[in-house]
Amino acid sequence: MRRAGAMVAGALAAVLAGPAMAEVAPPPPPYVGAYQPQGVDEIGLWREFDESERRLAASELVIRDEKLNAYVRHVLCDTVGTDRCKAVRVYIMREPTFNANMSSNGTMRVFSGLLLRMRSEAELGAILGHEFGHYEQRHGLKLFKARRTGTDLLAWSALLASMAPSYNVRRSYADVQLSVYGNLFRYSRDNEREADRLGVGYLNTSKLRPQAASAVWQNLMAEIEASSRSKGLSKPRFNAIAFTASHPPEGERALTMAALADPDGASRDDGADRYREAMAHWLPIFLDDQIKLNDFGASDYLIQSLAASGWTAPLWFARGELYRLRGQQRDLVNAAEFYESAIRLDTALADAHRGLGLSLIKTGRPTDGQAALRKYLELKPEASDAAMIRMMLTKEGVTN
Amino acid sequence: MFRGIALAVAAALCLVVVPVAAQEKSAVRQDFELASNSGKKILVFHPSVRVGSQSTGGIFEPNAEWTDRARTNIQAALEKYQKQLGNAVITAPEAYGEDARNLEEHMQLFGAVSQAVIEYQFFVGNRLPTKKRDNKANIFDWSLGASVADLPGAKDADYALFIYNKDAFGSTGRKVLQILAAVGPGIAVKSGEHQGFAGLVDLRTGNLLWLNADGQMGGDPREVDGSEKRVRQLLEDFPGSNLDKDADK
Amino acid sequence: MTVADSAVSVTPSRDWNRLGVSAGKNTETWTLDGDQLNDVTFYGGIAAGKPLIKERSKKKEPLPKFTKDTLIVEVPELLESTYRAYKQIGTFSVASTEPAEFLGHEGVRFTYTYTDSDNLPRKGEASAAIIKGSLYMMTFDAPRLYYFDQAVGDFRALVKSAILT
Repeated sequence: MRRAGAMVAGALAAVLAGPAMAEVAPPPPPYVGAYQPQGVDEIGLWREFDESERRLAASELVIRDEKLNAYVRHVLCDTVGTDRCKAVRVYIMREPTFNANMSSNGTMRVFSGLLLRMRSEAELGAILGHEFGHYEQRHGLKLFKARRTGTDLLAWSALLASMAPSYNVRRSYADVQLSVYGNLFRYSRDNEREADRLGVGYLNTSKLRPQAASAVWQNLMAEIEASSRSKGLSKPRFNAIAFTASHPPEGERALTMAALADPDGASRDDGADRYREAMAHWLPIFLDDQIKLNDFGASDYLIQSLAASGWTAPLWFARGELYRLRGQQRDLVNAAEFYESAIRLDTALADAHRGLGLSLIKTGRPTDGQAALRKYLELKPEASDAAMIRMMLTKEGVTN
Repeated sequence: MFRGIALAVAAALCLVVVPVAAQEKSAVRQDFELASNSGKKILVFHPSVRVGSQSTGGIFEPNAEWTDRARTNIQAALEKYQKQLGNAVITAPEAYGEDARNLEEHMQLFGAVSQAVIEYQFFVGNRLPTKKRDNKANIFDWSLGASVADLPGAKDADYALFIYNKDAFGSTGRKVLQILAAVGPGIAVKSGEHQGFAGLVDLRTGNLLWLNADGQMGGDPREVDGSEKRVRQLLEDFPGSNLDKDADK
Repeated sequence: MTVADSAVSVTPSRDWNRLGVSAGKNTETWTLDGDQLNDVTFYGGIAAGKPLIKERSKKKEPLPKFTKDTLIVEVPELLESTYRAYKQIGTFSVASTEPAEFLGHEGVRFTYTYTDSDNLPRKGEASAAIIKGSLYMMTFDAPRLYYFDQAVGDFRALVKSAILT
């Protein structure tokens, strides 16, 4: 994993030295204040968005944790400024994929999978700022108007999918994506570039470190490569993630982002510590969501990259779960080690004792395994599977 | 539950999922009768009415002014005809927080039930054996459950009129257009085929008393006349209806 | 009657409908009112190394596998990650797991909740046992509003009637 990251960074340095480079993103234009839709098209579109926001607000998938919501909003406001930030209503959704979007009525959707992948306030700000850039430039309307002249219905459906509440469409959108991306690409790359420029522009004028924008794309590329590699695919599937599918090629993008960032901002704080602290409660939950998607390469990459700032008990535990879930013989031996590392850092982490116990039993060490399970029950007597585990302890030998 | 998804994938491959002509469009619960002028109160939950036009490229363009006009017109037409039928229409109070989430869940359930009715009881080619038997015995037995009694506004009414726009993104682009163009209670502007369901639910038991799942509807809801025609069509099979079925054909 | 092309046989106490399409090679789905409202799926002997249901793409979207080392207490996790991976959802939680006999063998009974793309929260209950290295399981999924409670009794009766012939 680490080597792949180094290679990307190397390539980046090489190109940065070359002559063809984007200029530092200018500060955002003066904010014109609350915008009201104009004309039949726009007013009609807004009505659609209002309707879907109504349903979104009542959705089971929205995470209603006040602290988390306040924090994400705070990062958005720090990035785009308090005036702009007033126009936005943020909804955090329990969706394990990398995505965020904003519709032109001011509804911003932030997926939990995005929060898992960000390392700092500056990185999160980069994505939120990018989405806000689409909003400020009213790209939704432009895309709509451009599409109206076309007759490609599938392309239109992709457009709608991109505007609609993502929780409804992700799966079915994926089903039609192959046939529609060609069209979507051509149109939206310019808009994406514009949004990138604006997004980094906000960061340049904020107190956060604008260089983070480039890091987001490098990390994402490395994750996708890791995922593809572990699946034995010859080419990374950049279009497998909705957010990257319609966006400029990742490599080019990371370079552009780096060039757009104000070099004077490089020494600024990126808010990594604050970000880790704010996510502490949710990290194990989002990690569990990620692990159970069964994308081994991506999950292992994410865990290791989160651990770059230091291994913690939840990270070791997550890695243990990941390996036990895949469950090949050597995985189980590794899993046991990872659980042990977690327990060394936090001996009260009940689920780590459970994972350790199960892994040991499966690798032919039933006595040690049962001891670990006993510890698990001691720490978590009310566990939902306590009766099952207890039964495993009373048996002479443990068999399948 | 995986087959639903498999079906959706299959549907994406062949444009037409449910041939409208091959299905019945409405049904009434076997033990339900609503006499004219019985003075029942019918609760309507925020009807999602969307009106737009279709460009040459076949794109639906939502139009807010039309939508507002249609919503007002349809509401007025509903009130007018229900009054003729001797019933009163009550608009449900705006719901917030837990109430709104509960309502949303019931709306989704109504959608799932309606789709099941259409897929497995109405649609000739796909009837479940037990539903086929029900059809022979004139049985139409579906429910949302008694928890409907706790929905906002339910205490003040006898029945609820549920209105559902079928999820636009279940299959293909063509379908998306059709459904986006659909407005309100199975009511639609001329923009291809429209699927929307309207159902009357007993607010004590949750039983589905009547379901209209018409795929093809006429009338321009932007105009008062059109809205009335639309609502008349919607209600022509409504229990206790004395509306002239042939008036608009 | 035998189900899922396997040695499992059940005696239904009421009429169920068998759906023509199945989720995988060793599975079969029954319903009362449509699978979106009540769905009983039989997993009739999943062999070691196999996923519970058919993968969309073996290579690009692999599903977790039942293995020769899978413990019966891990079966709820296997179903959970199969649902999560297949549906790409973030909301699924196992509510309870307890020992329960199934098909005359020591097994597990567990309950769960999830919300997938139709935004309608569902509840589920399952019974499973590992017999001679293969996984046998019956699951029941239904909207948590009304439909789960309405038919879970029929599902339990079906589970009780299930035998290995």
